[in-house]
Formats: sequence, structure tokens, C-alpha cells
Amino acid sequence: MILYAAFVCVVLALIRKDERKAQIKYALSLFVLMVFGAIIFGWFMYLFV
Amino acid sequence: METNTKALQSLALGWLIPGLGHVSLKKYWRGGIFFGCITAMLILGLFMGGKIYSYQEEGLHLKLIFKNMTENPLTFLATLSDLGYGFIYILSKLFSFGLGNLKNTTFEFGTTYIAGAGLLNYLVALDAFDIALGKKK
Repeated sequence: MILYAAFVCVVLALIRKDERKAQIKYALSLFVLMVFGAIIFGWFMYLFV
Repeated sequence: METNTKALQSLALGWLIPGLGHVSLKKYWRGGIFFGCITAMLILGLFMGGKIYSYQEEGLHLKLIFKNMTENPLTFLATLSDLGYGFIYILSKLFSFGLGNLKNTTFEFGTTYIAGAGLLNYLVALDAFDIALGKKK
């Protein structure tokens, strides 16, 4: 999942942003959002087991 | 007129092989990174036993497409996303690989990797189209 998030972040950052600094910032924030979002959502689903 | 032809050409090349549309526009680094990431996702998906879904009806009539959409909507959507990596989709139909291995615990992960690669490639091909039209740098 982390690897998947990393690939998606790199591609989306290159598509969405033009400057190098903005690309890195966007990729990192998207990566953190995807990984922690998935973990939090996983815990949320655990409540309904 | 020439710009439109170039844009359509980069869109088609980008759809066929990830990043090739950008390479045709002399954006070598960007094209290389797109190719590396998307191809890595696809190869990992195939190694995990993921499935490349295909259109299940015999023929491309509107009636049959509609039947396929309504009877198997999720399979139809999965086919559309897998179609995103044009060259590999065609190869998988010609040489019968990417059939998926349901016994693998990683089957769902693999299928998601393959679908994700196809969907990302649509965005990459459209990005090349926009660059060729001059809407993007």
C-alpha cells in the first residue's frame, strides 16, 4: 500500500505541479495523506467487525 | 492544424506506452519517470497474480456494450481502467497473460495495482495532450 501510494504520488505531483519545489511538497503531502488516511480508515472499519 | 495533429499523436503515443507522449514532446525526464512508475506498478501487479480484465461480449455493437455495462458494471469499469495501458492490454489479449490467480492472497492487491497503472496512464496521456496544445508547460 505504501509502495502504491509512493508511485501514485510521484505521477500525480508531476502532472499537477510545474515547479520542482511545489512538486516535492505536493507529493509528500499527498503521500502522508494517503498512508495515514488508509490507516485511520482501517481502524474505523475495525469498529464494525 | 499541425498543433492538433501533434497533440493527438502525443495522446495516442502516451496511451500506448506511458511517457512516450512526453518523450515525443522532448520532455525526456518526465516521460522516463512516468514510464518507470506506471510500468513498475503494472509489473508488480502481474507478479502479485492480478488480473487484466477484458471486454466480455463478442462484438462492439452499442447493444452489446450496454448489455456488458448493465450485467457486469464492475468488470466493465475494471476493463476501462485496464485499457489505460494500451500496449500491455493488447499484448495480454494476444499472448494470454494477466489472467489473474485467485488462489494468491495478493490477487486483489495485484488487480488494484494494474487498474491503478491504467488509470494513471490516462492522466499522463491527457497531460501530454495538454502540453502539446500549449495549455501546460
